Amino acid sequence: MIADYLEQLERELCFDRSLSRCVRQEVEDHLWEAVAADPTGNTLQAQRRAIANFGDAGAIAAQFAMVSLARQSRRAGVVAVLVVASVFIAMKARLAWYAAAQWALSDDVRAVGGLVSRVDRYAFLLSVIIGLGGWLYIRSRQIPAGFDPAYRSQLRRFVLLCSATAAALVVSVISDGVLTALLLHGLEMSVAFTVPIASMTIEAGCLGILVFQIRRVTRRAASTAALQQT
Amino acid sequence: MLKGHLDMIVLAALSAAGPAHGYAVIEEIKRRSGGAFDLPEGTIYPALHRLELGGLLKSSWMTADSGRRRRVYTLTGTGNRALVERRAIWKQFSDAIGNLLGGARPRENPA
Repeated sequence: MIADYLEQLERELCFDRSLSRCVRQEVEDHLWEAVAADPTGNTLQAQRRAIANFGDAGAIAAQFAMVSLARQSRRAGVVAVLVVASVFIAMKARLAWYAAAQWALSDDVRAVGGLVSRVDRYAFLLSVIIGLGGWLYIRSRQIPAGFDPAYRSQLRRFVLLCSATAAALVVSVISDGVLTALLLHGLEMSVAFTVPIASMTIEAGCLGILVFQIRRVTRRAASTAALQQT
Repeated sequence: MLKGHLDMIVLAALSAAGPAHGYAVIEEIKRRSGGAFDLPEGTIYPALHRLELGGLLKSSWMTADSGRRRRVYTLTGTGNRALVERRAIWKQFSDAIGNLLGGARPRENPA
């Protein structure tokens, strides 16, 4: 009987696999302890009573959905900061490579390069500020028991901050791409091209991870809202 | 009404019982409240997870005598401070309600 209940709870918590496994172990321990403490000595009745006292699996899963959403959004905040840091490292590594290889912009594109470089710098700086702001914002929010309107608007603000970080990073990465293209233009294709191309790929990949995380938060928010309504 | 104070109740139970697993927290709540709080036991677990995520509790896994894996929760420094704060707010609130229902005059501020 307890095994069936645990299966049901695990199914209800399928939106978060790691949480589901962890909760199952905790609840299993709880229910068997309740059975052991039952004074009647009738195991079947004790199991039935333990499950009834524990509550409806669906209702408990709905409360856990809120915990999962909060964890997901905090994780997205950390990812935003890590992505910004990774883009910075990739950018710096590429510049160090250019210096080592003594590659520089040719005179005819230097003016355009300067302009793009300024756009790149400010866009990146903006992504650092907004990304850090988003992370600090979401980690300082209290987690409510239910998906209440106050938390909904806090989450909306956080998603907006993360989206703004991603948008600023898109501008920065595109600018990096333009600068890389200007620099490599006219040079003969060689193995040395691998470094700038790899660093650009890393930047684009990091950006993809951030967008994926934002999408996960919005989808989890929608599923939490639906779960709490039922 | 109980739901609104669940976090405070859980923090208070853990403060009284020391490090404890979910079942022990529930037993402590029942014992200290004289069985007055009759809420589904399962609702304690999301609260424990939420409080841990908020940094008010920390947890660790251990193996119980039964051989089952058991998650034990402990109050953190932040959790202790939060409990002190919530106790003060609750006392203020209950004094005010007590005065109101009892018809006693509110104490004047010695300003």
